[in-house]
Amino acid sequence: MPYEVKEEKGKDGRKVFLIQKENFLELMTDLRKQGYDHLSLITAVDFRDRIELVYHLQKSESNFELLTVRTVTYDSTIDSVSSIWESANWDEREQYDMMGVVFKGHPNLKRILLPEGWVGYPLRKDYDLSKNQYVNMDDEGNDRVSFDPGDGW
Amino acid sequence: MKTGDAGFITTTLENVLEWGRSNSIWPFTFGLACCAIEMMATQASRLDISRFGSEVFRNSPRQSDLMIVSGTVTKKMAPRLKRLYDEMPYPKYVIAMGVCVIQGGPYNQGYSVVMGVDRVVPVDVYVPGCPPTPEALTHGIMLLQDKIRKREGK
Repeated sequence: MPYEVKEEKGKDGRKVFLIQKENFLELMTDLRKQGYDHLSLITAVDFRDRIELVYHLQKSESNFELLTVRTVTYDSTIDSVSSIWESANWDEREQYDMMGVVFKGHPNLKRILLPEGWVGYPLRKDYDLSKNQYVNMDDEGNDRVSFDPGDGW
Repeated sequence: MKTGDAGFITTTLENVLEWGRSNSIWPFTFGLACCAIEMMATQASRLDISRFGSEVFRNSPRQSDLMIVSGTVTKKMAPRLKRLYDEMPYPKYVIAMGVCVIQGGPYNQGYSVVMGVDRVVPVDVYVPGCPPTPEALTHGIMLLQDKIRKREGK
């Protein structure tokens, strides 16, 4: 392989791959070719100075054998895998919404749960919970977010 | 058998209207979270709320009288809830079902949850619980009926 993959065993003996961010897309493309046809989940862990992304892949032909892929980003950007697995589209939007990870090459990277215009990313460690945000909607159904308690709920 | 006695009852039109309204409360399907499962159980055959005239859950705000807000009201949902409430014709009633709807419940001080639906729409009956049992919701509907008939709830 043209890139280096560190392999380790998880607590329950499952395979875990650690990969450099630069070679991440290459590895994922190869894994898809090896039969990992189901992207089970994408999640992210905030370590303040870096964000670790965790991908769970499954192989449907061998009883949904699970493989975990971990990668680390220091600038909150990572290559999108939505061209490899269609389901990554919404999973990546969720991580963008909650963690602020920017997926490069994503076809429609916008918030999926929170309304457009929300300030900050709620699952980050540095998110300020003391400042309440209020949501209102105009006649066309577009959300409006403000810090003013009189405008919205 | 005809006896010749003219049997009649006197009442006021208002009483008749109240009696009619209280026995034909059509709820609006407003399941937002897990409380909706208990609301469905209330509507189903075991604790059939059609006994109180509320059997028809309408999916349109124009055809419903009662909004059972069952489930966590998020800040994103609140403006939509308000609009749907505004689209309901008078007379209209609201039941707040579950602690999330009453004051935020386990999501109290959460960043994305409205601390009580009474900040958005006026509430007639509060049904506490997490989730309330179908019996509790049935009791809530009976309290609402008493309220419509201007009687003190037991």
